[in-house]
Amino acid sequence: MDDPKFARLLEHPAIWRGRSVARLEVLASGFAALDAALPGGGWPRSGLIEILVGRFGSGELSLLLPTLAALTRAASARWCVWVAPPLMPFAPALVAQGVVLERVAVVGGQRPLWAFEQVLGSGACDAALAWGKRPQPRDIRRLQLAAERGRTLGVLFRPRRAARESSAAALRVGVEACGNGVRVTLLKGRGARGVVELGNLSA
Amino acid sequence: MKAAAEGAVGAALLPAAQPAAPAGARAPAALPRARQLPLPAPGVELWVGLHLPQLRSARQLTHLAYLAQRFTPRVSLEPPDGVLLEVRGSLHLFSGVAGLSVALQDMCEGLALKPLLAFAPTPLAALVAARAGQGLVSLERAQLVGQLAAVPLSALRWPPQVIERLQRTGVRTVGAALRLPRAGFARRFGAAQLATLDRLTGRTREVRAVFRPRERFRRRHELSCELESHARLLTELTRLLEQLEAFLKARQCGVMALECRLLHREGRMTPCELHLAAPQAESAHLARLFAEQFNRLALPQAVRALELRARTLLPLTPQAASLWQPGEHGGGTGSEAHALIERLCARLGAGAIHGLTLLENHRPESSWAMTVPPSAAGRGGARTTAVSPLTGRRPLWLLATPQPLAVRAGLPQRRGALRLVSEPERIETGWWDGEEIARDYYTALDTHGVRLWVFRERTVPHGWFLHGIFG
Repeated sequence: MDDPKFARLLEHPAIWRGRSVARLEVLASGFAALDAALPGGGWPRSGLIEILVGRFGSGELSLLLPTLAALTRAASARWCVWVAPPLMPFAPALVAQGVVLERVAVVGGQRPLWAFEQVLGSGACDAALAWGKRPQPRDIRRLQLAAERGRTLGVLFRPRRAARESSAAALRVGVEACGNGVRVTLLKGRGARGVVELGNLSA
Repeated sequence: MKAAAEGAVGAALLPAAQPAAPAGARAPAALPRARQLPLPAPGVELWVGLHLPQLRSARQLTHLAYLAQRFTPRVSLEPPDGVLLEVRGSLHLFSGVAGLSVALQDMCEGLALKPLLAFAPTPLAALVAARAGQGLVSLERAQLVGQLAAVPLSALRWPPQVIERLQRTGVRTVGAALRLPRAGFARRFGAAQLATLDRLTGRTREVRAVFRPRERFRRRHELSCELESHARLLTELTRLLEQLEAFLKARQCGVMALECRLLHREGRMTPCELHLAAPQAESAHLARLFAEQFNRLALPQAVRALELRARTLLPLTPQAASLWQPGEHGGGTGSEAHALIERLCARLGAGAIHGLTLLENHRPESSWAMTVPPSAAGRGGARTTAVSPLTGRRPLWLLATPQPLAVRAGLPQRRGALRLVSEPERIETGWWDGEEIARDYYTALDTHGVRLWVFRERTVPHGWFLHGIFG
C-alpha cells in the first residue's frame, strides 16, 4: 500500500473502497471508549438509532445526555424533543447535566410513533427521543427515512427482546447496567461490533 | 315622528327654514334652502360633529362610524360619545348642509339615537358646538369665533378645577375665554388649554386620526350537492382557503385563528376551529391542518355549505428563505418549529407539546413546571438557564407522586432488597405553607443494577418511598 504509484491510483475519483465508508458526520458521545467503538467515532448526526434496554433506567439516558447537552448548547441549536416518555424528565437534573431547557420540548403520550415521525421529519429538531410501543419493522423504516430527511438524531428506546427482530435503524446498541456503570453492546452498525463497558457513568 | 325630528333640527340649524314640512314633502322643502348656502372655498375643511348623549356602548359608537363611512371616508371617533365627519368633498352629493343633516339624523334614528349636530370648519369647534346643543352652521373660519362666543366652557371638557378657576374669574363662555390675553391664559390655566383654544378656532390645524374599520374574512361556499366524505369536503374547502390566501396576501396579513362552519340542511352547524402557532396565510398549509381536524370530526348529517371565518388579521412578516439548511450552522428553525407545533396540536389536541422550566423551590416535585413550547423565535445563542445551586445528585426521571415501598428488616424492597449506595441527603422545607416535607434521600441500587432515588420520611411512621429513577 505504500507504493506511491498505487496510492496515486487510489486517488482516482472513480475508485471507491469498501472499507472507508463515506465519512459519517457524527456527534461525540462524551465517552472516549464508546466513541472509539462507534462507527465514524460517535453517534450519527442524523438517522435513527435504537437503544435496547433490559430494564427501564439501566443508564440508557445518562449514556446520551452528554450529546444532548452539547446539542442544546450549540449556537444555532434546534430543539430536543422527548416523545411519550414513560415518566416526566426531571428538569433540575437536566440543567445540572448542562442541558439548556429552552431547547427541550415534551410531546404527550398519544400516538407516539406518528408524533415521533412528525418530529423527526420536521427539520425543527436536533435530536428526538421516543419510547414507542411495539413498533413494526415498517414503522422503523419510516422513522429512519424521516430522521434523514429532517437531519435529526432519532433515538428509539425498545425492550431488549426486540434484538431478535430485524430493523432498518442505522445503529442498534444494547444497554445494561453493570456495577457502577453500563455495558454497551453494539448490535448493528456500519462495520461496528463489540462490547464497551463504561464505568461510573453518572458520576 | 320623522317630521317632528326634522322640524327640530331645521329650527336649530337654519332659523329661516320654517315651518316644519309634512314628512312626504320633506326633501323638496329642504333642497332650495340648502342650495342657497355658499359652499366653503376649496381646500377648506368642513366638519360635522355628532354628539350622542344616549350612546350606550363603545361598540355602538364603532357601529355608527361604520355607517357614517357612506358619507365620507374621513370619519373620526371621539370617545365616548362623539363622531366627527369631514364632509367638504361630499356636501354636494347630499344636497348641501340641510340634506346631509337630514341624512345623518336618519342614520342615527335607525340606531334609536338622537344626535346633536353642528357644522364648523374645525373639528373641535364642530364637536364643542354639538355638545353645547348649538345647531351651529359656520362654513368659514371668519365667522367661527363670533358663533362660538355663547358656548359654555363645560362643552370643552377641560378638567373641572380649570373650569372652576375660570368661573371664579368670571369667565363662563368660550367667547370670554378667547378674549383673555394669550400669554396670561397659558400661564394661569395651562398651555394645554391654550392649545385647545387654538385648535378650536383653527389657529393651529388639528389632524385627526381617521377611523379604519376592522377587516375580517367571512365567505360562504354553497356546495352543488350535499357531501359527507371528508376528502371531498376538503377539496371544496381548499377553494375557500385559496380565496383567503389571496385576501390575506393583498393585505400582508395572516391569521392565527380560523373557523370553518359546516352547514347542514337542518339542525345546528358543525364548527371546526383551527389555532395556529404563528400568523399564517398559505392555503396549502392551512388545508393540511384542516385535513387533520376533519379526520377527528363526526358529522351528524351531510354538509350543504361551508363557511370560512377569520376574525382577527395579524401583520405577516414573510420569512426569507435561509441559505443554510435547517441544522447546518446558521440554519433556522423558525417556520419548521411552528409547523411542527401546529401539526402536533391539530392531531393530538392543544397542549400536545410543552416545554420545561425550573421553579425556585427545594421540594423536588415543585422545582419544575410545564410551560408553553419553547419559542422558535428566540433561537440561536445558547442562553444560560438559571442553574439552581444543586447540592446533591438528582435523577433524570421523577415519579409524579412518590411510590410507597415495602420494608423488610429495616430496608426498602422493590423486586428484591434495595442497597443504599449513598450518604443521605436531607430535604426539609415548606414548613411555612403547610406542605412541609422532611425526607432523607438516598441513592439505591436494585437487584438488576437500576439506580433509584428513594427517601425515608423523617416523621412517624418513617415510611420508605421511591421518588425517581436515575436512568
